[in-house]
Order: sequence, then structure tokens, then C-alpha cells
Amino acid sequence: MTRAYLDYAASAPRREDVLAAMAPWMRGVVGNPSGMHDASRRARQALEEARDEVAELVGAPPGGVIFTGGGTESCHLAVAGVTHAALRSDGSAHLVTSAIEHHAVLDAAAQLARDPRVRVGSLPVGTDGAVDPTALGGVLEPTTALVSVMTANNETGVIQPVEAIAARVRRDSRAAVHTDAVAAAPWLDLRRATAGADLVSLCAHKLGGPVNAGALVVRGTVAIDPVNPGGGQERGRRGGTVDVAAAVGLAAALRAHDREREELTARVGRLRDRLLAQVVDLPTCEVTAPRSPRLAGTAHVTFAGVAAEEVLFLLDRAGVCASAGASCSSGAAEASHVLSAMGLDPRRSRGAVRLTLGYATSEEEVDWAAGALRAAVATLHAR
Amino acid sequence: MRVLVAMSGGVDSSVAAALLRDAGHEVVGATLKLWGGASDAGCCSVADVEDARRVAQVLGVDHHVFAYTEEFAERVVEPYVRAHAQGLTPNPCIDCNRFIKFDLLVDRARRLGFDALATGHHARVVTRHDRPALARGRDAAKDQSYVLGYLTAPTLAYLQLPVGAFTKDEVRAHAARLGLRTWDKPDSQDVCFIGAAQGRRGFLAERIARTPAVVVDQDSGAPLGHLEAAELVTVGQRRQIPSPDDARRYVTSVDLVAGRVAVTTRERARQDRLDLDPASVTSSAGELRGGPVWVQTSAHGRPVTGQLRLADDWCVDLDAPVPPVAPGQSAVFFDRDDPDVVAGAAVVRRR
Repeated sequence: MTRAYLDYAASAPRREDVLAAMAPWMRGVVGNPSGMHDASRRARQALEEARDEVAELVGAPPGGVIFTGGGTESCHLAVAGVTHAALRSDGSAHLVTSAIEHHAVLDAAAQLARDPRVRVGSLPVGTDGAVDPTALGGVLEPTTALVSVMTANNETGVIQPVEAIAARVRRDSRAAVHTDAVAAAPWLDLRRATAGADLVSLCAHKLGGPVNAGALVVRGTVAIDPVNPGGGQERGRRGGTVDVAAAVGLAAALRAHDREREELTARVGRLRDRLLAQVVDLPTCEVTAPRSPRLAGTAHVTFAGVAAEEVLFLLDRAGVCASAGASCSSGAAEASHVLSAMGLDPRRSRGAVRLTLGYATSEEEVDWAAGALRAAVATLHAR
Repeated sequence: MRVLVAMSGGVDSSVAAALLRDAGHEVVGATLKLWGGASDAGCCSVADVEDARRVAQVLGVDHHVFAYTEEFAERVVEPYVRAHAQGLTPNPCIDCNRFIKFDLLVDRARRLGFDALATGHHARVVTRHDRPALARGRDAAKDQSYVLGYLTAPTLAYLQLPVGAFTKDEVRAHAARLGLRTWDKPDSQDVCFIGAAQGRRGFLAERIARTPAVVVDQDSGAPLGHLEAAELVTVGQRRQIPSPDDARRYVTSVDLVAGRVAVTTRERARQDRLDLDPASVTSSAGELRGGPVWVQTSAHGRPVTGQLRLADDWCVDLDAPVPPVAPGQSAVFFDRDDPDVVAGAAVVRRR
């Protein structure tokens, strides 16, 4: 039984207001937005209203919003779309990704790098979990095609200096800047937090919207070849019938968070601090990147000499849903590339526990989780 | 009881979980993710994790995935490669059982508050002289007591092996009755971290230096041919071994330093004594006693009789000669008067 759901960063509880907005586009006749009749026109109108809304909330022209099947697809379209366009015009492509990007970016880049014409450089992070814009000096080239740095990290919650990075990229190269804003979207004003980026990846389910709903938002002119050209939808950049309900859900979820942001961030931030205050004195406990600006909903802690899998097992038995930060498709906890990029001792990164809060988190949940975490760590340290 | 069942995604551990659940225990399934490298064979691939998870869902028990990839690399794969590089032929399944499933996982199960750990091995835990002991499973053809030969009494006391009381056919029939998708899944055959396409030679060839060797007759020293890599040759091997006549030659020793592989005929290759590594001798009964034993030197090998000598010479004098046993393999001893019961185990060393 779930007593405390503290895994919002994995997937947030579906919001009723979002579901209500989507409902008309999930039952009965829903026209294909590309059709030539009344049902299509109505679907198309809902789609374009959603597009306007996403554009406004991210700070981009409506024509820059490409609806996709989720955050991973958005990141892939940004990375692969720019790379393929560069290969077509230049015959080669150089990409730069931060060492702490989500696998959506890292794996897309790694797959592209199987082509010998594609090279991928990595931007390091400091022990504070943040990319230092001056580190670009070591990897950026005048002809680099793309620099990808996430808006905030999904494991540690550390907010990245996207605007400063984008300014530096603009000064020293012609690269497009992509920022994966999936983790940041519930917490930060994307108009500011992603300022300067040419491409912004979003998804809805971290915001209480549906899964398989996302967007890649393009600011200005960036050459992107479609990954999936069939049908020519989304101005030829993403083929396939657009899911109106998903687009409406994404827009509604973004709108709800934008409306509630100030209150939400303050309230959840206090709950997060309340949670950390109850566990920080546990033996070997350390809060990750405590002095870095972090998302209000993320409590990331590590324990030395304790396996995260065991902590999570005991938390699960106590009805607490949490995560180790990263998990692979098999369901096992995975060694975190983020923590290792921050230079954390492997003994400690194996004991990483991520508790992520969100709009519906209550004080009772936080206190229950803190108690369960205290009990779990005591049990594991005792034996 | 609260029982943690190690579910590999195969039919045996599926049924182990079902039997324990139906006996009224609180069962939690766990699948170990052991190997990060590419492999299409054996247990513990992503597909196997999915099978185990689905079986747990059908049984209505919780299922977890535990990653032991680093530990598996360190304690099973690296020693396997290192031993081959020294011209030995280890059994990685024994090390995996000994150092992962029945060491790390047992520790974890205890820490997490379980009363027992169960697996789907075809073997039984019995009581002898008021102590837990390991005995052969009921299905002689599927018996796995050999790969569990090193388990000690404290581990055996914590262990449940529910399918050991059944034949493989009975296990499959039970899985089919319960509608478990693993009911007709083929038995795992080979070393789980080595892909079928790659094979043992391919896997090792990527990881160890290769010493060219001259093949010589064991007695006359006459050269018979050459081999590319002595590390990939196993004592007892006959495939790809050059012969001066129609009769097969069998490898009797591998000397990496001299780059020399000694061979002889089938009859002359037989050995009547197994030398044991004294440091490796283990017994669930605490101390192994010398004297008459049954001894088995491979997972499904036929046990033979001999005299175990544990004084100065640490060996088994066999009552009748056997085909050569590769150094690095384990010898598992069974009680001479109670031949289903494991008495202990030891690693075979070079003659």
C-alpha cells in the first residue's frame, strides 16, 4: 500500500484538471487534425490552442512547437535532427553534451557517434553538480553543431546555468543550444530558466499530465531534419497523426504549474526541507550538492556503505515510493553516471536515495517517509 | 515465514516461488541482474527478468530486481578469466552460487528481515547428525548438488530448495497447471555471461593474452603440432588436438610458461588420483574427514569411488582410473554410505 508517493520525478500523479481538459479528445469522434471536415477542424483548433499555450509558456513562437510522443522523443529529435541537418550541409557533425544529461540525450548522441562523421564531446560538472560555462572552452569548436545541457538535473535537482552557457556558445561557435527541461518544467519559469536555448524538450507526465506527450520547442531558426518524416505533420518535422488529447494535456499541465508555481515552489520547498531536516543526522547521510540551486521538489541524499536497493526495499515495505535516482529498463538500480560525473565516491553513490515531492505531497507523507527512511537506515546499519 | 525467492526467470525458480506461496509463506521474488555485458544465453538477461517479473505477478507476489553486476564481474567473471589465463579450467557457476547467491544475497535477505532464502535448484536440504546437509535432488538427471557443493551449514540452515523434491517433468507440469509462462522454457545450458554466438573461446580470446604452444606426446615428448593459444585449451580436451594417427589424443597438461601442451591416447590419459588444493577444502559438516568417498568432478558427471586423503598429500586415490580432470574444476564429495548427501568440496589442482 502506498503511504507516501515521493517519486514525482519518475512520474507525477495525474492531475484531475488536466484529465478534464483532455477528456473531450479521448472519447467518441475525434477528428484527425489533418482532415478536411468539421470534426477535423475542431480537433485542429484544440491542437493549435494547445500549441499557442505551450509557445507562450516556454517563450517561443507558436510555429516552433513540435508535439512529440514524450521527453525522450523530443530530446532525440533535437539531437538527431540537428546532427542529420549538419551532416547534410557540412558532411560532419560535432556535438557537445554535458556529462549529466539524461540517457534520452546521451544514448541518442552515442548512437549517432557510431557514424565516424559524428564526434561527441562531453562537458564536465563540478562536485556541485553544475556545468561551469567556462568548461565549454575545452570542448566547444567553432563549427560545433549542437550543445545540449539540461535545465535541471533529474537525479540531483541541480539547476544548470543555461543562459550563461548559451551566451558563451553563441560567442564562440555557431552551435544550436538544446536544453532538456523535462525535470525543470514543474518548478521553473521556462521563459527564464531556458532563456538563450534554441531548442527546449518537454514532457507532460512529470507535470501530472499523460505519458507519451511532449514537445520540442524551437526558438529562432535551427535546421532540423525529421527523424520520422512520414506524413509531413508538424511542418514536416515530425510525421504521424498528432495526438490532440496529449497536446491538450501537455498545455493544461504546463498552464496549471505556471499558475501555481510561486505558491507550489514555496510550499513544496518547505516540505522538502522538513524531510531533509529529519534524515540529515542519520549516520553517513549526506545531502547531495547542498549549496547548489536545486529544484524545490528534490531531496537527494546518499549513505556510505549502504545499498540503495536495500533502502528502497525497506521503504517500499513501509509504503514509501522513492527511487535510487537512476534505474535501468530491467528495474534494477543503476550506477549513476550523474553522481560519478560529480566525482562522488562509488561507495556513496551506491547508497543514493532520491525522494521527489510535488503538487499533492502532504506533510503526513513527508513525515511518514522520513520515519521509514530512519528505520530503514537503522536496520541496515545494525546488521 | 517470510521467504525471499531468487527467481532467475526459469521454470524451476518459478515453481519454487509457487510452492512456497502455496505452503502459506510470505514470498517475495528477486531477480539478480548479474551481467552488464552483451549475452543472449543463459540466465539473467533482460528477457529473463521480464519472465520472472511476470511469473511473480501471476503468483501475486512482489518482485524486485537486485543489481549485482559489479560484484559478479569482480567475483565470478574476472576470476574465471584469470584462471584461464593461468591454464586452469574453473567452473563459474560454482563461484556465482558460492559468492553471489549464497553469500551476498543471503546477507541481503537477512538484513531485509527474511527468514529464509529459496532457489529453484534441484537439490535438497536434509538433516544429518543434527546438522543441515545438502543432498541430491529427486531427479537424478537434473540434480544440481554439484554446483552447491561448497555451501556451509549456516547457509544451508537458511536455505529452502522446494523443487528438489520433484522431477523436472513434475516441475514443468506444475508450472503449466499454474499458467506460468516459463513452463516450457528450455533449460539454461551454458555459462550465462558468454553468448552462444561468441562461445567460450571467443569470450576468452578478447580478454587474455594468447600463448602459442607446441603439442607434444606426453611420454615421448615428440612434437605433434601447434596450437594458437594454450590458454584456450582444457585438460581432457580432444577436439582440435593434432594426432599422429587415427586415434584421438587427449590433453593431459597445459604448461603456459614452456608453451607446451602434453597429449596422449585415451587409455593413457586416464588418471587414478585427484590432487586437491588444501586451501579450498570445504565441508558443510564443518570438518571434512578422510576415508572412502564418492567423488564427482563435473556438474552432471558420474560419481566414482575413492579414498580421500587429507593429511599431507591432499588428494583422492580413485578406485578406478577416470578421464583427465582439468585443474581448476571442483571435486564434490558424497558420503560413501549415504551417496545422495554432499560431504564437501575442493578445487582440483595440477598434478
